[in-house]
Amino acid sequence: MSRGWHNWDPRYLKLAYLALGVGAVAYPFLANTYWIDVANFFGIYVLLGLSLNIIVGYVGLFNLGQAAFYAVGAYSTAILNTAFHIPVLWLLPLSGLLAALMGYLISRPILHLRGDYLCIVTIGFGEIMRITLNNNPFGLTGGPNGIMGIARPEILGFRLFQPHHYYYFIWLIVLLTVIALKRLENSRIGRAWHYIREDELAAAAMGIDVNRMKLLAFMLGAGLAGVAGNIYATKMTVIAPESFSFWESVVMFTIVVLGGPGSIPGVVVGTLCMVVLPELFREFAKARMLVFGLAMILMMIFRPEGLWPARRYREEIRSAKEELPAGQKPETLSGA
Amino acid sequence: MQEFLQQVVNGLTIGSIYALVALGYTMVYGILKLINFAHGELFMIGSFLAFTLIVSANLMEHIPHPVAGLVAVFLLVALMVAVIGLILERVAYRPLRRSSRLAPLVSALGASIFLQNAIMLVYGGGYLVFPENLVPNIEWSVGGINIGLMRVIILALSISLMLFLYLLVQKTRLGAAMRACSLDHDTARLMGINVDRIIALVFVIGPALGAIAGIMVGMYYRQINFTMGWAYGLRAFTAAILGGIGNIPGAMVGGLLLGILETIGAGYVAAAWKDVVAFIILILILILRPTGLLGERVAEKV
Amino acid sequence: MLKKLLVVMVAAALVVAAAGCAGGGKSDTIKIGVQGPISGDWALEGQGFVKAVTMLAEQINAKGGLLGKKIEIVQGDDKGDPKEASLVAQKMVSSKVIAVLGAYNSSATEPAAGIYNEAKILHITPSSTATKLTEKGYKMFFRTCFLDNRQGMFAADFIVNTLGKKKVALIHDNTTYAKGLADWTEKFLKEKGATVVFNDAITPKEKDFTSTLTKIKGLDPEVIYFTGYFSEGGLLLRQARELGIKAVFMAGDANNNPDFVKNAGLEAAKGAIITTLPLPQDLPYKEAKQFIADYKAKYGKEPESIWTLTMADAFRVVVEAIEKTKSTDPVKLAEYLHTQLKDFPGITGPITFDEKGDRLGSVHTAYVVNEKGEFVLYKKQ
Repeated sequence: MSRGWHNWDPRYLKLAYLALGVGAVAYPFLANTYWIDVANFFGIYVLLGLSLNIIVGYVGLFNLGQAAFYAVGAYSTAILNTAFHIPVLWLLPLSGLLAALMGYLISRPILHLRGDYLCIVTIGFGEIMRITLNNNPFGLTGGPNGIMGIARPEILGFRLFQPHHYYYFIWLIVLLTVIALKRLENSRIGRAWHYIREDELAAAAMGIDVNRMKLLAFMLGAGLAGVAGNIYATKMTVIAPESFSFWESVVMFTIVVLGGPGSIPGVVVGTLCMVVLPELFREFAKARMLVFGLAMILMMIFRPEGLWPARRYREEIRSAKEELPAGQKPETLSGA
Repeated sequence: MQEFLQQVVNGLTIGSIYALVALGYTMVYGILKLINFAHGELFMIGSFLAFTLIVSANLMEHIPHPVAGLVAVFLLVALMVAVIGLILERVAYRPLRRSSRLAPLVSALGASIFLQNAIMLVYGGGYLVFPENLVPNIEWSVGGINIGLMRVIILALSISLMLFLYLLVQKTRLGAAMRACSLDHDTARLMGINVDRIIALVFVIGPALGAIAGIMVGMYYRQINFTMGWAYGLRAFTAAILGGIGNIPGAMVGGLLLGILETIGAGYVAAAWKDVVAFIILILILILRPTGLLGERVAEKV
Repeated sequence: MLKKLLVVMVAAALVVAAAGCAGGGKSDTIKIGVQGPISGDWALEGQGFVKAVTMLAEQINAKGGLLGKKIEIVQGDDKGDPKEASLVAQKMVSSKVIAVLGAYNSSATEPAAGIYNEAKILHITPSSTATKLTEKGYKMFFRTCFLDNRQGMFAADFIVNTLGKKKVALIHDNTTYAKGLADWTEKFLKEKGATVVFNDAITPKEKDFTSTLTKIKGLDPEVIYFTGYFSEGGLLLRQARELGIKAVFMAGDANNNPDFVKNAGLEAAKGAIITTLPLPQDLPYKEAKQFIADYKAKYGKEPESIWTLTMADAFRVVVEAIEKTKSTDPVKLAEYLHTQLKDFPGITGPITFDEKGDRLGSVHTAYVVNEKGEFVLYKKQ
């Protein structure tokens, strides 16, 4: 399949880029506000998918609590903006940094845990975050009502508030993120992550500081989710704990796995399936989630490597006969 | 002290439900290393099917004795949910047994979404209310500690089911086969064990126990809705981890302990923070003793 | 790799664009939107919204419509979630409705209100009672329910003056509505010299509240007032009685639902008191009797809750404004509702709006559960 694309004539490639670019820029002029807004959420979830992809896809750490970092970004933006009137655009990097710090604090003690245990601990952190937001500690988070009246971003005096303003803003950030991640994938760090994913023991033996690399992945992933949280908060101007529930973490996780772990185009396709397709079927509101659940099962049976797998993982997942790594003793169904 | 003891009794009732549901998670994990996220939905389906039998089909009136009627409901629902469990295994998990560990996890999430929405389409989005007086309204007060008959039934039934399962796994040939499968499928197969049958068995016992827990929740709290599977499922799974996943007595201890932690957290900290208390303890246990209270210690890689 | 990315981007763009170009509409109808949790945890309430408005619109269309045009109802399911609510709101704006009725819960109404106000669409919520919703100066926003503080005032007065009790435990569920009501009640109770021994949250959607109740039992209040929703209210009441708590049990208007008694069980429910707007069948107004009779005839059951009726009133108010102004310009309609509408005969009593869009007055009253498990008006012995 992929061979065909790699043999593309560069002229066609340029043409296709041009078409995509023109299409993307022209989109807000063609669609109505509802569909522009769908495209905006599409962009935000692509960012979230990319953020979790660093942790789940690149390094292979199961994380079902990504919504916690998303929430840190959104709430730090909301609190700092409404209480101290710091412009939200300045808070974009700051909320990313705070989320990354949170990523460090959370992942530091739990990195040594095995896959499924890591998964459950991250679920736990996600729930703790949601409950904490709900309980309005020190009157900071506004409880179930959340925080409202978050300012809009202003770029050189131009205030973003219409859906199409956000459209360009969000997709510009997506574009920058994709470029940065592409470079990262092929850097020393990206290759180190890949080795850890393949075989942690061998990676450590080759001199890779496994724990530091995992920490870095968690911090980067958390930070990017925090940035997405900032954008979400300023776009909505009101945030509430429901938007950061376990379900959101499930959506992000599914985006990554559905698209193909470790694959950037996979994240885009996965988001398309998880966020945009359900909108198309809004008319069938009641039955759409049913079909959606069924589709997830069928996907995993017939295309477990994801819709758009990263090339380096495809072979491995298809042929993998999952065995416990050598030397690891499984849990037993024992009475002791 | 009296208040504390009452809280412990409260916690034991909640915890024994968690424990029953946790058994389903822990057995599947023990043998397949799979977090069966759809297990909470099977528990929920149990209470809805019981509602159908009792209210819509009026089963209790066709059976002469109320106790016999209840027993019939329990058996029928356990059977039906066990069949659903088997179908779930066959459709959503068996085709994935040889794939990576991510795929079954997503398939399980998909199954959970599917079942939840199927129930919503059939029964509607609102709460359903079980009839009163399925169990006579008897209450005891012992030394200022109050307990109703239904709570006693919940405690007694869950503990006997857990004992039964424990004996089955520890003392019978079938149990030995299950333990063998949890150690190593291929070796078990070489020993002449039909691994597929054992896995199917696990998907019969787990859902049946979950269904019984679901019926008891319906009978005691008398109020069921299609989203309750998530809430109980997450807690029960936490309980399974707490005790050491894959470990049957661990699930029982974990369930009861989580129930008591919750009520004490609610009683002495604040109800709104009780889940936080439970999760923090869970995380501490996993950091300090990653395999849970009763699990054997295994490191990520040696 | 980048090439693949490109292909997928093009595909994505095509899908979204194709979807974006679909749509468009005719203007020979008057479009009115109904937004609410049609699916999800509050699905019954949302479906009640749709049923009420659909029925009334059909009645009007059968008589030839409004200003010679048929009314067309546009449904939007927000599941009670703020994010979904803002998407629904954008969709409503795109489909060119003149008015949107709804959002059930305050946190879904909040983001929608901003969008409708910006798009100059009339917006009336039948059930979101959070005080701050009308504090933002939105000209297009109204509500046909009453603010939380009116009920708190009534409840405090009832506890101290009618029941003659002084020691109260308040339980809420941390939702905007319930916490607001509990805090207002605490404020008014203290003003009247009563003591509040407990005011804290339980977690909604849970089933076991024995730990909180055990704690309250130790504090020995004379009255327990629960301000959350019926699904928890009934459970709380029964578990309180099972634990041997003898205090008078009172609950706020979200417990005004037959399932409250079913959940609690007749034995426990007897004597429980509800502060609420009058029940549908107890509303003395002829509009109410007519509406309930029609609703039963069409759907074979009673309206889901009082919010089904306030939703019907929201719709009737819009119709009234269109008829009186002979216009479908939302700005004119809002202007009319703010200044001209006085004591409009609503299903839930006379309707007048103040300059913020809040409904004036209050018709709260107390009910008690009788021997048969029915809510009857409370009469002082």
